[in-house]
Amino acid sequence: MVTNSVVVIGGGPAGLEAAASVAELGTSVVLVERRGFLGGTPIAENYANLTPHMESAEVAMGRLIERVTSNPLIDVRLEAEVSACRGAAGAFTITVGDQQIDAGSVILATGFQHFDPGAETQMYGYYEHPDVIALQDLEAMLKTHDVVRPSNGEPPKRLCFVQCVGSRDRQIGNEYCSKVCCGVASKEAIEVRQLLPDCKVFIFYIDMRMYGYWENQIYWPAQEQHHVQYIKGIITEVLAKDGRLLVRGEDTTMGRPMEVLMDMVVLSVGMEPSAGTRSMAQLFGVQQNKYGFIDSVRAPLDTVTTSVPGIYSCGAALGPADLEDCASSAAAAAVKSITSQRLRVSAG
Amino acid sequence: MPIGGKKQPPEANEFESVVVHSTISGRPWQLDGHWNRMFEQRVIWDYDTEGFEQISALDGGESLEWCYRCGKCIPVCPVDLVGNYGPMRLHQLVQQGQDLFASDQAWLCTTCMNCLRVCPKEVNLIKVMPAVREVAVTNGNVPAELQDVFEKSFRYGNALGQNPKRRAAWAKGLDVRQLPDDPAPVDVLMIVEDYWSYHPRGQEAARAFAQIANALGVDWAILGAEEKTIGDSQRLAGEKGLFESLMEDNVATLDRYEFARIVTPDPHGYNALRNVYPTYGHNYEVLHYTQLLAPLIDRIEWNRSLDYKVTFHDPCYLGRHNGEYDAPRRLLESIPGLTMTEMARCRENGYCCGGGGGGMWLDGLTANHTTERLSERRVREAVETGADVLAVCCPYEVSRFEDAAKSTGNDQLKVLDIVEMMAEAMFA
Repeated sequence: MVTNSVVVIGGGPAGLEAAASVAELGTSVVLVERRGFLGGTPIAENYANLTPHMESAEVAMGRLIERVTSNPLIDVRLEAEVSACRGAAGAFTITVGDQQIDAGSVILATGFQHFDPGAETQMYGYYEHPDVIALQDLEAMLKTHDVVRPSNGEPPKRLCFVQCVGSRDRQIGNEYCSKVCCGVASKEAIEVRQLLPDCKVFIFYIDMRMYGYWENQIYWPAQEQHHVQYIKGIITEVLAKDGRLLVRGEDTTMGRPMEVLMDMVVLSVGMEPSAGTRSMAQLFGVQQNKYGFIDSVRAPLDTVTTSVPGIYSCGAALGPADLEDCASSAAAAAVKSITSQRLRVSAG
Repeated sequence: MPIGGKKQPPEANEFESVVVHSTISGRPWQLDGHWNRMFEQRVIWDYDTEGFEQISALDGGESLEWCYRCGKCIPVCPVDLVGNYGPMRLHQLVQQGQDLFASDQAWLCTTCMNCLRVCPKEVNLIKVMPAVREVAVTNGNVPAELQDVFEKSFRYGNALGQNPKRRAAWAKGLDVRQLPDDPAPVDVLMIVEDYWSYHPRGQEAARAFAQIANALGVDWAILGAEEKTIGDSQRLAGEKGLFESLMEDNVATLDRYEFARIVTPDPHGYNALRNVYPTYGHNYEVLHYTQLLAPLIDRIEWNRSLDYKVTFHDPCYLGRHNGEYDAPRRLLESIPGLTMTEMARCRENGYCCGGGGGGMWLDGLTANHTTERLSERRVREAVETGADVLAVCCPYEVSRFEDAAKSTGNDQLKVLDIVEMMAEAMFA
């Protein structure tokens, strides 16, 4: 059936913004979310505070969720998954559970998942050493204001971040930069320093990639006000030693090897397409890039149009993205999902 | 090493590496740091935050830890060109737990400001070094040669330890008014500073200045025996207390007289009067002597032309620190017959003579860490331009560069203050 309503798949930052924008432009929306709650990865993975302004993830996401749930044009379906799609642009029929939903356009906002550091080629020992954790593990600790060594429950005296875990690596297959980890690690470093002023915090990096304003919103304050030590040179192995962790690498500005003891090691894991992004891309038949993210086929000036007419994508389903990227591409997808239908109608 | 073991005496080149030539192929072999490295600890065992905590707690020390290791400072650091130095290296040293307060590395910086010019993070050694050195001074970790100058400055009011009563000896036989003898109001109060007052070559420049100022009808006078050094280099070398006590004396002296402007030949004193005194509430109109004379060149009656090919050395504290690059050049270009040629490093990127920030009095310590003096390197740059005169307008420089010209075998290079050449063209 021909309809101008829009189905948005995914209830994270991008999906919520897309649904809210479509509805605020006067078009009805069905928002389909696999989980039993809205908010996406920031809520599911217990993010404490969001880059770059350190606002509580629950507060910030709560505001966005409220915009969606309070809008009568939005029909939110939780614990719901799309299992089939028939039809074409302007007249899709989408199967959600045992229901058929008509839609003129579809927005895929199925997001990312964190890289599994167990798949790292380096000897980081994520699954071997309890005190080796990942960015999102530390987020969960920060959220409860309880940063302790998992091995003994004591606050760490020395904690380091290792950048580019699972990113920029041909062997792993993720050749891209995940874009947010430098900023997120620096943000978490600030939070650790605030929570545990006696804890020395180090960040080992290949190069710090603080694009745009994050440079002096996050990186410079971390260094200049919170005394986080940045050391150029990446860690290549983590070894257990006397109940602590010996991190080994090369200090590339000194041209000398380093072997330094830490209490906790935080792996700055990158982004990969989520299972939902992979399965929805296949189900809707949209073109994916070699990493599994959805291709925006008219980039760079159109970031949200996929290879299938009537199907748009936004947020981290398109590739590594920060929250600003997600909000921007979501709004763009909302506009395209509506205007494409109007253009089709006026063209007869 | 050459195969066959017939050693040739090594020849040092400018980058602290040693080259020997193979006796078989004639090919040069570079024997650089790799040889020494075996004997040093290679592995970095720890990084420390305590050094930064101490340094950033100092007034002025905040910015050292801002370094993000881009390395832009290193190629423009004058000390690195003859050694291994620069803000990024200081940052590394502290991050690796070395005690900067007790290290020779605290004394090598000449505060020339070329690093700050290029630093994207505004790591400001002009503030960091005095703050760190002040702690070293308090701890008694001062190189003896520098301590000697501090004591002389305190005791005699000049860095050379000369008799304060002989401050105006250079003016003997010249018509130079001394305010203590004749305290009537004056337009220009000349603060002669130490090296023009006492150093024989500085005195020649002072005498040249006096003749020129008188010929141009400048209403000027000096403080004579009442003058004490401004002591800006002592301040930058870590003796803020000494600087402040000198300032107290100098302000009390200045308060006794009426004058419109202060003029000094010393860019270091000029810098302090212009930028530091106001932070203590003491405000004067201050000019470098080149800024006094440059607007007066049309009044000059030249007597002869000088067949000199001249290159000019920008003083760090006149140029980079205070933005004056043109006044000295205008004076030089006005001298009939003289031709100017610039060194590759000039104006904003001018190379430091090594005398600033206490470097003037740290020759011994600096020599232990550098392959040649900064002044020697600068002299070689001047010679490369084909110039036969190296022109200067900072009292530190005539003696530094004349020594360097001799030690580098470039005796043919004359080192002259701008006023010496002006006087020659006006009066000879």
